[in-house]
Amino acid sequence: MEKVMSRFMELSTDPYAGVAKWKEDTGKKIIGCFPMRIPEEIVHASGMLPVVMWRGNEAVTLGHSYVHNFNCGLTRSFIDDVMKDKLDFMDGMIFYRSCLQAEEIPSTIELNAPPRHFLYLYLPPLYPGAVFRDFLIQQLKKMKENLEAWAGKEITEDALNNSIEVYNKNRSLLKRLYELRKRKPGTIRAREMLAIVHASMLMDKEEHSKLLGSLLPELEDREEVADGKVRVILSGGLCQTPHTAILDLIEEAGMVVVDDDIYIGSRYFANEVTPGNDPLESLADRYMKKTPPDPTMGDWKTLWSDYMVDKVRENNAKGMVSLLVKFCPPHLCYYPDIKRTFDKEGIPEVMIEVEHEVVSVEQMRTRLQAFVEVIRGGA
Amino acid sequence: MIVAGIDVGSLSTKVVLLEDDRILAANILTTGEEGVVMARKATDEALRKANISFDQLEYIVTTGYGRKSISFAKESKSEMMCHAKGAYWLFPSARTVIDIGAESSKIIRLNKNGVVEDFVGNDKCAAGTGIFLDTMAKALEVSIEEVGELSLKHKEKAMISSMCAVFAESEVVSHVHRGTPRNDILAGIHDSIAERIFGMSNRVGIMDDVVMTGGVAKNIGMIKALEEKLGTILHVPEHPRVVGALGAALVARDSK
Repeated sequence: MEKVMSRFMELSTDPYAGVAKWKEDTGKKIIGCFPMRIPEEIVHASGMLPVVMWRGNEAVTLGHSYVHNFNCGLTRSFIDDVMKDKLDFMDGMIFYRSCLQAEEIPSTIELNAPPRHFLYLYLPPLYPGAVFRDFLIQQLKKMKENLEAWAGKEITEDALNNSIEVYNKNRSLLKRLYELRKRKPGTIRAREMLAIVHASMLMDKEEHSKLLGSLLPELEDREEVADGKVRVILSGGLCQTPHTAILDLIEEAGMVVVDDDIYIGSRYFANEVTPGNDPLESLADRYMKKTPPDPTMGDWKTLWSDYMVDKVRENNAKGMVSLLVKFCPPHLCYYPDIKRTFDKEGIPEVMIEVEHEVVSVEQMRTRLQAFVEVIRGGA
Repeated sequence: MIVAGIDVGSLSTKVVLLEDDRILAANILTTGEEGVVMARKATDEALRKANISFDQLEYIVTTGYGRKSISFAKESKSEMMCHAKGAYWLFPSARTVIDIGAESSKIIRLNKNGVVEDFVGNDKCAAGTGIFLDTMAKALEVSIEEVGELSLKHKEKAMISSMCAVFAESEVVSHVHRGTPRNDILAGIHDSIAERIFGMSNRVGIMDDVVMTGGVAKNIGMIKALEEKLGTILHVPEHPRVVGALGAALVARDSK
């Protein structure tokens, strides 16, 4: 078990080496996908490896010549990596119009350091009406055609259906892992959970499923260690990896994470693709699902705050820790409503502002300790 | 039963000795490099004032930045909890506590039983803290003890728009060069801190009565600026710097 877990951890903390090695070993191409909404299945069906773009592990320096320092950590760090030629092993990059901060990233890259293959998609918001779905399917067709040209081979319907199955299997395994944590909180540490999901974004899906499949029974045998801990839900971290140090602080303060609503977490594997007549349509239908609510594409009727209140209650959690990525417009836009709703519902919530550069851990520690004290009675 | 509360702050270490409902002694020392050594020294001095020995202390609780590093203490509590507890003990009508220390500022909301409901604190920025005032006082060559009184003698308030301690300092220097009267600049500085606290306070809501604790509560200019901005009066304890330590002592008393 330790071997599999440390493989996941290694890949999550240093994706550069792991992903480049996969390319070296297999001779296949690597396609970076901007986080959250690119249907990786189509890349997978082309025989290339889709990897979700990540926040790097060093301070942003050169990148600040190309992007404002009031951009979020992911966009700053990604540009920095590109400009420092650290991502040269990526054969292609696929972006889409997501949030305000991410908007200028693709053009900055295309102008200053274009990858061998580059694609920019317009993925529509989740409003009702056939026009959005039709437009999305057009975009997915465009994505498929581009990938066929990049891979030099046709993406058949069978290949797409197979990839959908491979991804669904991985999703169901991750779901099993999350169910296990809900049942026996404390058995899997928050940093381990992060590494397992993050590894799925960075390695061949079939291999990840095989490794996770072997890990699950062993994790199920672990003893529960959550006695007396305060059950909490994590929210936020929409595109980027939370710092493991902050996840550790949450646990050290006396909390146990029972479930989460973070991208490198439950959002990644939410909703399987329902197979149908046309695989691209099936993929589009998964994309159009309204939950978990996506603050970058959201429809105004599905409230993130309500979704989170339900998640807290379903899990019998005592509170929520919001990991608010500094300068993240989508989260900042919805946060006041979340805060107000949690106040109204009487559910304790604490916001921890996180950024690429870890700073003032002690302030976070104090706040998290005070949060636990408030939940335990506040006197 | 005699207990001690120790508040190891970033600038000073405060100790309060408590016997049931009676404060026996309080003491303040500069924290320095070795938190635990100064905490022990501050405690020993307080014990001497009260004429009791260390062995008579039945329980010790720490709070503040250095709370985890004090090996001779039994327990540590967050500053939010301790300031709330101390302020509520002194003013049972308190529903909001504003604490401004050397490097931190926080606003804590209590219910009528003194239970903490919500809080907000500054992040990684010196704006709205004692160090900010200290830096500005140095730039104006005024002692920190004088800034409050002098600021009240302003004719007009100078505008300090920057929230950043570093940029605000250069704004202050620009005012000096323009010939803005010193007292007006000081009033502007106090207003800019009040703005910062006001912005933060809206996240938890300000409810009367409001108690202000921490070293900055000794600054009358700051109290007035905050009262004006928040539209309410602030209750200030006689010794605002030791309220966190008092709260820690109350936690210690109730833990036994």
